[in-house]
Amino acid sequence: MVSMNTAIQIKNLSFAYNSKQVLHAVSMDIPARQVTAFIGPSGCGKSTLLRCFNRINDRIPGAHLTGGSILVHDIDINRRDIDLQELRRRIGMVFQKYNPFAKSIYDNVAFSLRVAGPTKRDELDDIVENALRSAALWDEVKDRLHASAFGLSGGQQQRLCIARAIANQPEILLMDEPCAALDPQATLKIEELIRELKKQYTIVIVTHNMAQATRCSDQTAFMYLGKLVEFGPTMQIFENPKDPQTEAYITGTFG
Amino acid sequence: MPQADSPPTEQPHRFQKRGFSGEKAIKFFFASNAGLTIVILALIIIFLLKEGLGFFPGYQRELQVYRIAGLEFVDISRKNLTAHEQLTSVLNRAYYAEINGKCAHQMRRSQEASALFNAYTDQTGPTRDLVISNSQAEITPNPEMLAALRANFDKQKLKALASLPATPHLTANERRDLIESIRTRAIDSTDDPALVTALAEEFAAAREKQAEPLQAMRATIDTFEAAGSELSSLVSEMTESVTATKEKIQNADILEKDRKTLLAAAASAKDPAEREKLTTEAHASLADKPDVEGPIQVLLERRPDCIKTHAALQQAAAGIGSQLPAALSQPEAARLLKVARNTWPLFIADLAKTHEEINDWKHDTPVPLTTAISSFLTGKDWVTGGEWQDFYGILPLAIGSLMISIVALIIAIPSGIGAAVYVNQFASSREQALVKPVIEFIQAIPSVVLGFIGILVFGTVLRDLSMLDSLQWIPGFPIEERLNIFTAGCLLALMSIPTIFSLAEDAINNVPSAYAEASEALGASRVQTTFRVIIPAAFSGILAAILLGFGRVIGETMVVLLVAGNRIKIPDFTSGLGTFFQPAHTLTGIIAQELGEVPLGSVHYRALFVVGILLFTVVLAINATAHRFVNKMKH
Amino acid sequence: MFDPEKLIRKGLPKGHFKDLVVRSLLGGTTYFVVIIAALLFGKILIDGAPVLFKAEAPFVDFEFLTSKNQTLHVFDDAQGTRHQLPASEYSAYLAKHEGVPIHNEQTYSYSGGGIAGPIAGTALLTLGSMILALFFGVSAAIYLSEYAKQSPFIHAVRLAILNLAGIPSIVFGLFGFSVFVLAVPVITATPSDRSLLTLPLFIGDYVMSFQGWNSSLMAGCATLACMILPVIITASEESLRAVPQGFRDASLAMGATRWQTIRKCVLPFSLPGILTSSLLAITRVAGETAPIMFTAAVAAKDDLPWQGLKSPFDVLSSQVQALPYHIYTLAARIPSSEFTQRAQYGSVFVFLLLVATLSLGSMILRAKLRAKLKW
Repeated sequence: MVSMNTAIQIKNLSFAYNSKQVLHAVSMDIPARQVTAFIGPSGCGKSTLLRCFNRINDRIPGAHLTGGSILVHDIDINRRDIDLQELRRRIGMVFQKYNPFAKSIYDNVAFSLRVAGPTKRDELDDIVENALRSAALWDEVKDRLHASAFGLSGGQQQRLCIARAIANQPEILLMDEPCAALDPQATLKIEELIRELKKQYTIVIVTHNMAQATRCSDQTAFMYLGKLVEFGPTMQIFENPKDPQTEAYITGTFG
Repeated sequence: MPQADSPPTEQPHRFQKRGFSGEKAIKFFFASNAGLTIVILALIIIFLLKEGLGFFPGYQRELQVYRIAGLEFVDISRKNLTAHEQLTSVLNRAYYAEINGKCAHQMRRSQEASALFNAYTDQTGPTRDLVISNSQAEITPNPEMLAALRANFDKQKLKALASLPATPHLTANERRDLIESIRTRAIDSTDDPALVTALAEEFAAAREKQAEPLQAMRATIDTFEAAGSELSSLVSEMTESVTATKEKIQNADILEKDRKTLLAAAASAKDPAEREKLTTEAHASLADKPDVEGPIQVLLERRPDCIKTHAALQQAAAGIGSQLPAALSQPEAARLLKVARNTWPLFIADLAKTHEEINDWKHDTPVPLTTAISSFLTGKDWVTGGEWQDFYGILPLAIGSLMISIVALIIAIPSGIGAAVYVNQFASSREQALVKPVIEFIQAIPSVVLGFIGILVFGTVLRDLSMLDSLQWIPGFPIEERLNIFTAGCLLALMSIPTIFSLAEDAINNVPSAYAEASEALGASRVQTTFRVIIPAAFSGILAAILLGFGRVIGETMVVLLVAGNRIKIPDFTSGLGTFFQPAHTLTGIIAQELGEVPLGSVHYRALFVVGILLFTVVLAINATAHRFVNKMKH
Repeated sequence: MFDPEKLIRKGLPKGHFKDLVVRSLLGGTTYFVVIIAALLFGKILIDGAPVLFKAEAPFVDFEFLTSKNQTLHVFDDAQGTRHQLPASEYSAYLAKHEGVPIHNEQTYSYSGGGIAGPIAGTALLTLGSMILALFFGVSAAIYLSEYAKQSPFIHAVRLAILNLAGIPSIVFGLFGFSVFVLAVPVITATPSDRSLLTLPLFIGDYVMSFQGWNSSLMAGCATLACMILPVIITASEESLRAVPQGFRDASLAMGATRWQTIRKCVLPFSLPGILTSSLLAITRVAGETAPIMFTAAVAAKDDLPWQGLKSPFDVLSSQVQALPYHIYTLAARIPSSEFTQRAQYGSVFVFLLLVATLSLGSMILRAKLRAKLKW
């Protein structure tokens, strides 16, 4: 039995795009209410792994599991009878490039609630406000909720995407290099937000930026060539890596 | 230092180009080819205007002659006469629709039996005639040949009997007997088979019986018809005199034009003797000013006559209107009766107004240019090459074009966009590989082939469908004309589906995949993602696709020329949705049909160019709007 | 706070039924279009294929393709045998059976013989207009892709291309008629009365007279070329731009001139693309009717385009039959009967076959090109 503190349990997960194997028997337990960072060189499979958690990889033709399983609350999310929409409502996701819809700020945040079913207007108003407050965006946009989302700055748009992802009160939040397209100022703001959000959500973040990993993650996983090389508390990984590959990567010898 | 004093030689640096370079010439060559597109566009505009603009003054003169000669005056009365005729025809149609509707069963039986017999005689007739003409007593028959002919006839007979049309309203026994009687009938018999005659008599009897209760209506219609005879003879009398006047004026116009040509030639002639000759000729051909005042005064003297006749007709019509039957039992008859009842007060009101119109009419009011323009743009008649008066009103053509486009778009928009959404969002890659080439192939099909298909295949299929008893609830069925607005619209839809499909598919494809990914990551299903995120994001692109499809439809020529039925008349909107099953003519079709037949430089010729200018402007405006949407999507 | 059991759906997914309805509606629409297209062309195939193909070797009836178009005479001879003969064979028959009466004679215009004339005419029209359009179009595209910078001139050119592409074909017909048939200059000793302008050339009696080329192959080719020009320019520019910028940079860096670069490093790589899209342009040029109705096409002609000419150049100034116009004539001007079907369905079938081959060819070439040229 897994301890109640495990949010996602990964067992021997192997994954392939068509015939190209990208993940090789990855196993790890992602703790709840903490920030877990995936680091590693480009193409090491960290994004793919992250995208397995809400099965968004299903969209890509030819992508398929070749072995192992992912358990959320002891339920294998690759079961045939899983309610995929419900799963994705429970596991939110923020992407590398901020991608708000061509709709108003309000409609962006309300989107996930509307697709889940009809919601009362004032209830919706509350949820939108809360989500925007949680994403530290409310004060900046409260006067123009019905203006197009494209009028916001890059950092604001990314925070809007975060608000959109948490509007449904998910349990887990996946972030795929959320700051890759942002300037340092906006990046700092997002990182601050991540630290705030981990009180409520389990966060898994993929990042290229090792400083970012040290700044905001509790656990760090280093991946290389589709394999999990080392996984442990962030402090330990960065200060006292056990694996020589990890050491080489964090000291900048390669990658 | 003498060297320092000498001016520096103009020696350019090695990297600097000298003089005229071949590169520049090449660049200029390519640039001028690119400029060719501007030249072509300019030429199109210039030449359309050059040929077209002369139309309005020419038409103005024609309308002026129309007035001076008094044709306009006669048309005041003629308008009412035509209305009277139409009303009579509607009443007659209602009358017969009532009778035929009541004995529809007998009518169908009779029609089917004779259709079957006719199908047989059509096929065997020629051979039969040959046999008979060869076996006549006057010519010594050649027994060998006669035998061959008879064998031939028997063969044809068998073939014909094998392919007889269906007769759903005859009993199996009746059909068998009928076929049997055909099989056994003598080769030289001229009588119709017994059943055909019997059914025809049965039908005639049924009609007579059904006509019995409608005698009052018949009498009413006949009285109404007779009431118009006086106006009719009045109009035809006046017609004769004004036509003669018009001819005189036109001849004078032609002479005047010739004289001007001669004078112009004289002015440019180099040889003085030649110039002298041409000038004399020109002066000699000076036309007599035709006498228009005389005939017009004679015409105007008939005013009281006209007014009296109209008043009489008005009185008669007012009396008859109340005698019409209250209701008819057959739906078609009831509809026609309702049409008649609705137009009746309008007809009477028009008659009442005629009095003033006749008195107010003046033959010497000049026709301003604006009248020519407005009667072109809003004229309800496009009448050309007639003996009476040519009118160039584009309303019937524009309405035809528009209605056909509406039908086409109603079909093409849902199917084109639906297919685009399906192929892009839901189809498997194997389905895509099937659907896309098929639609691409439809795009490559020349429009004349589609027109051909419309005439020989689709039109016939549609008409046969419209005859089915089970489809009679559709308004306008059974259709009278195989080629009509609906047929043309369907084919144009097929033609514009590829345009709309491929542009809409592009627009959907251009929606960043990040949108779809984000939407699905938020728990939206595939269908929700498509309809809530992707289609709204591609909306302006899809709108552009629709507009460009519209531009293509309205500018298409061959399909409408072949399939629209080419009747230059504003459709009769009283038949509701059935209007779409009437034939029409179009802006594009009229150019294609008439340009080959008109004299160069005539008013009619120029009118066609003005129609071309109109088309050009409309289509360019539509396309420009579409491209604005496309650009909006890009940013 | 979150019930894991909710992750497992009971029965069908939520909204499954709605999804199914939407998908099948959209799919139904799509296949409806495909099926309608298949039905219409199936009908043409079934009725038209027997005209061109036959059961025994060599399976193709070349006679239909190679004989001239004529009036069809249908009649019974004295024995009651029905004959269907094109005009030339009909007169031969009459000459042979002189004095023997024939019966029930009917004539069907344009329905006898084959379609050699229309095929030849369309081939000439297509060839002429494609040569013109490719020459001017590719040159213009080279300018747009290789030389042009943002300038009012380029803006105007692009606007002109966009507008030309949208003009209805019948307007091109009007344009071709008023410009190429009636107004372009010719050099002649005997100017026509309706010449817009005559300029003396001081060579004998010859003057340059703006009186047009009359309805002729030349006028038709020029009109069609103008119509297809924007298509060719757009497609060629796309192919030229598909050549990676690096090729040009490398060539220029080695000291080649701009023109050398274009000739050696850009054109060769874009040529396959240009030619592929030209195939599609050919289907459009070959299929257009409205622009040639008044500029080149004639319904009936006894000779093939190259027959009965005084000089080979006269082919340019004579009218031709054309396949699309022939189909228009067959569809619009003669009633359909069992004797005309051969000509009608046969012509349409041949035409469709031609178009299908061309567009299939361009599709295949395009796919190959995409696979081959991946920079």
